[in-house]
Formats: sequence, structure tokens, C-alpha cells
Amino acid sequence: MPRHWHQWALILAAFGAVAVLLVLPLVLIFSQAFSQGAAVVADNLTSTDMISAIKLTVIVALVTVPVNLLFGVLLAWCVTRYEFRGRKLLTTLIDIPFAMSPVVAGLCYLVVYGGQSVVGQWLDNTLGLQLMFALPGMIMVTVFVTCPYVARVLIPLMQSQGTEEEEAAVLLGASGWQAFWYVTLPKIRWALLYGVVLTNARAVGEFGAVSVVSGLIRGETLTLPLLIQMLNEDYNTVGAFTAAGLLAALALVTLLLKTVLEWRQRHKIDAAQEVTP
Amino acid sequence: MSIRVESIRKTFGGFTALDDINLDVSDGGLVGLLGPSGSGKTTLLRIIAGLEQPDRGRVFFNDRDVTTLDARRRRVGFVFQQYALFRHLTVADNVAFGLRMLPRDQRPGRDAIRARVRELLELVQMDTMTGRYPAQLSGGQKQRVALARALALKPEVLLLDEPFGALDAKVRKELRRWLRHLHEQIDVTSLFVTHDQEEAMEVSDRVVVMSQGHIEQVGTPLEVYEQPASRFVFDFLGHINALEGQYDGRQWRDGDASLRLDTHGACPNGDLTLYLRPHEATLARQPSDSASLPVRVAGRSVFGGTVTVELEPRGWGRGILEVELDRDAWRQLDPGRDEALFLLPRDLQTVTCDGDLGPRVRPA
Repeated sequence: MPRHWHQWALILAAFGAVAVLLVLPLVLIFSQAFSQGAAVVADNLTSTDMISAIKLTVIVALVTVPVNLLFGVLLAWCVTRYEFRGRKLLTTLIDIPFAMSPVVAGLCYLVVYGGQSVVGQWLDNTLGLQLMFALPGMIMVTVFVTCPYVARVLIPLMQSQGTEEEEAAVLLGASGWQAFWYVTLPKIRWALLYGVVLTNARAVGEFGAVSVVSGLIRGETLTLPLLIQMLNEDYNTVGAFTAAGLLAALALVTLLLKTVLEWRQRHKIDAAQEVTP
Repeated sequence: MSIRVESIRKTFGGFTALDDINLDVSDGGLVGLLGPSGSGKTTLLRIIAGLEQPDRGRVFFNDRDVTTLDARRRRVGFVFQQYALFRHLTVADNVAFGLRMLPRDQRPGRDAIRARVRELLELVQMDTMTGRYPAQLSGGQKQRVALARALALKPEVLLLDEPFGALDAKVRKELRRWLRHLHEQIDVTSLFVTHDQEEAMEVSDRVVVMSQGHIEQVGTPLEVYEQPASRFVFDFLGHINALEGQYDGRQWRDGDASLRLDTHGACPNGDLTLYLRPHEATLARQPSDSASLPVRVAGRSVFGGTVTVELEPRGWGRGILEVELDRDAWRQLDPGRDEALFLLPRDLQTVTCDGDLGPRVRPA
């Protein structure tokens, strides 16, 4: 416990800053959304644009999360289980999406897969497939932006856990798949869930990269964050804040989940350290 | 099941872990791989288990070449140094793991698995802790669970990597005796790795002494102790005192110390090094006809039936010497502080100029 008045003052200042910078805007979002009553909120929520945006956001997240879950586990497995040339390089490369502005990522994809590019034209001519300014492109950039999360959470954990338990499983007759399913997965499951929560939060809220490749076609390629921007520019304040409220609520749920998972994780570690002779 | 290893070579990058290793372990043997860290003993164990692939050479189980056989199909029991128990499974589930991984047509039923687990846990005296998690067990308990788990599939080969390494002295001793006993109870060929000389001597039928990727000597504990094949083996098995001096054809000398010997082992320039085991010497107030090695007691440690005495040479030698006397001899002598004493060696080992072992000699 703090002893001096200046320690208390510092703590108070911290709470004050949190209130002004974080809580107040959050409260304002909901109060703005409900400023003209619940009926207007309901109208906005059921508008075709809003429903289409919610659907699109959910689809993007539903594809992105499993893809990056798989990618993250595979990558963490490779990096922590095998010794090979370029292992360090690989662990550095997966941080590119963290280091790079999402808008730049979106532009890169546009250049490579857009209608003006060789790849884009070839896909259009042979398969009749248009990636950019459509759902596939939006999913692609979201996958790109969120791909490090799962791997980043798993790599340090799997490194510290080592491979002896897997070796023990194999010597007891387990196949590689059985060793993964019955030994590795239970060891990393909480970290994995944590990675999924982070990936999902980012996938749902991504604005920059998606806005570049979406083409902003109303009712077709607008996710929730893009819709908020659109509604705000249309002076539909209630609509914008309703969509914002939706995202904020999702963020709060994510935060809660994350806290619970972290608590579970810590609980597990504490339990593991508590040795009864 | 017998194990045969032929011309095994293994390198890691530029480091040669094993260099042309040949070894035979007969059926039912209990063999200790003994060596300092970095001698390649764990690598050899892992190659036999199939966890590492040798660069060259073959591994046979009962004349069947298993070199390229996958680790999961070799059916060896393996106990890891840090036990490697599955942390998310209870003691019972850890032991049952191997049985549950069997293909469906070979897998015993639920009750049969439970019965087998109970039987194994009784064997290792852990049947009261079936529901505990590894984190709730002490080192010795984890060790026994790891053993029960390794024995679940009735392996004919049991490999143990430093099985007692992480335990405290008292538990170690108890478990060593228990492992010997267990080995006699079940029909299995066991190979264990250790860096502890005492452990290898006490537990094994045969000891394989390794150093820097080579096998230095294979033999019974008594053989390797009494007839060490190389300077390394002599050096590694128990504490030794090295006495470095000059030999003039009749007497060994170093400063104020002299020792009459009958040997031809000296180098051309007259250098002669003698090894003295702590229990192959005694102490007296007077020098003998053949030996005059003045010393002073620098410290002593009384433990069990022997007294280990640390001696400081007076006017010769470098560093502290160590001898072991039995308790009665020590009590009879009862030297005062700083009293001048003389070291009387009974048996000495000569070292040749190129560093090999020469003949054993006695003061004459």
C-alpha cells in the first residue's frame, strides 16, 4: 500500500487519465447512440447497410481466425521444433505485419492482385475472379494484418516447454499427430485461445488495410469500421455511433475474455509451481 | 533382448559427439554408461532409442537391424532426466498413455488398462497417488511414475538418462537400490547414463566408461576399478592424488620428499608421475625405510567408517593430498594440530611419458 500523499496523488492521476482518455469516450459512444431513443437505434441496427456490414465483418473474422490459427500453430511448430537454416529470419519475417502500416499493406495487395497487375489480369481472364474491391481481397489483407498474433503468443511458450514430453509420447508409441493432439495441444491451449481472441479483435476492428482494398461499395464491401466512417461522413450521427457502440461492445467482451484467459493461465502456472512433497 | 551398436558416429555441426562406437549389451544386463558431461553418453542412449539418427553405423536389437526404425516402433522404455511427465495428465493417465496410444485392435479394454495401471503403480509404490498431477509430486515420486510409464508396454529394453541426477543424496541412494531390485524382478535389458562414479559402480553389472565420444573401457565395476585400461579411467573413477617428481633409477624425489621404488617407468629426462588412491596409503609419525613424505593435517571429515584426511605436503608437492583411513586407525594416531606426519603409500600407479598408465609399483 502507498504511504505518502504524493503516491496517492499519482494513483489518482492515473485513474483520472484513464477516465478522461478511455472511459469517457466509451460512455459518449453509447450515450450518442441512444441520444434519440432506443427506437432509432433499433431502426439503425436493422437497416440493410448495417446488417450487410455486420454479416461481412463476421464472415471476414470467421475466415481469418481459423486460417491464422492454423498458420500460427504451424509456424510456431516449425520454429520451435526444427533446427534449420533461416529459422531466425523466419521469426523476424512474421513480424512484418506488426511493423508495417496497414494502409501500406493494403496498397501492396492492390498493386500485386489488383486489376492493373499481371496476377490480377490473369486471374480475371482465366478464372473470372476479381480479388480486389471484393470480399476475397478484404479477407486477404485482414489475414495479412493479423497473422503474427497466434504465432507470437505460442513461440515463447513452446520454446520454454521444450520437446521432451513429445519425445516421451513418441517413445510410448504415439504418432506425430497423436503426440500433437494429446500432448502439445493441451499444453498450449490457453495460449492458443488467447491468440485467437487477439486475432479476432484485430480482424473485426481492422480499418486501414481493408479500406484500401474494399472499394467502399455500400451494402457490398463495407465492414463495420468502414460503415462507421461512411455514416459519419453522411452526418448520420446516431447510425455511426450505433455501429461504433456495436464494435465497442465487442471490444469489451474481448477484454473480458482476455482477462479470464490470462487469469486461467496464471492460475495454471501457480498450480504447477505449488509442489506438495 | 540384447542390444548391439556397431561403428556409430554422430556429429553436431563441427562437434563429434560419438566416434566409431561399438558396444554389446547382453540380454538381461544392467549396464551403466559412465562419463563426464560431453562424453557422448546421452547421445548414444538417444540413438539407441531412435530419438537421434547416427551419421554412420548400425543399431541391432537381438540381431534385428533397427537403425532406420522409427522411435515409436522400437518399443523401448525411456526415462528422461527431467522425467518429462505429461503435465496436464494425472499420475494414472500418464502411466496409461502408452496403452491408450495402441492401435484399436491391440488396445486393451478400459478395465484392463485400469488394472494394468494399478499393477504398475503398485510396483513403483505410487498406488496411493493415482489422481495427483506431476506438479504435486516430489522428485523421487516423479521418477517412479516415469518408470511405471516406461514399463507400461512391457518393453524389453529400458533406457534411463541420468535417472537419479535431479534427486537429493538420500533419495538417490534409496532409489538406486530399488532400481537394482526392480531390474531383477522384471525381464528387461537396462542401460542407464550417469556421470556419478559411485552410482555406476553400485547399480550396474557392467560399466561402460566413456570420454570425448569414445569408449574407454567396458567391464564389471571391479574390473574397471582394479584394472583401469587408461589413465582417463583411473582418473575418473574416484579421487586420486598425483605426485609429480624425478626418478634417478632408485629413488623418486620431489623437494623434501623421497620414495624408494623399483621401476623402469620413468621418462628419459627423469620425470615420473605417480598416482595414489586415497585408500591405498596410511599415516605415521615416522618415515619408513622406503618412504619419506612429510605432511601436515589440513582438515578431516568423519563420515561412516572412514575418515577422509586432507594433507598439506611440507617442502614438496603442489596442493592438498587426500587419504582415507579407517576410523580406528585415525583414533589410534590422533594427531595434534600442525603435528608433523609422514604419508606411507602402499600401492602406486605410474604414468608413462606419453600419458598412459605404466606398471603399478610399491615402495621397496
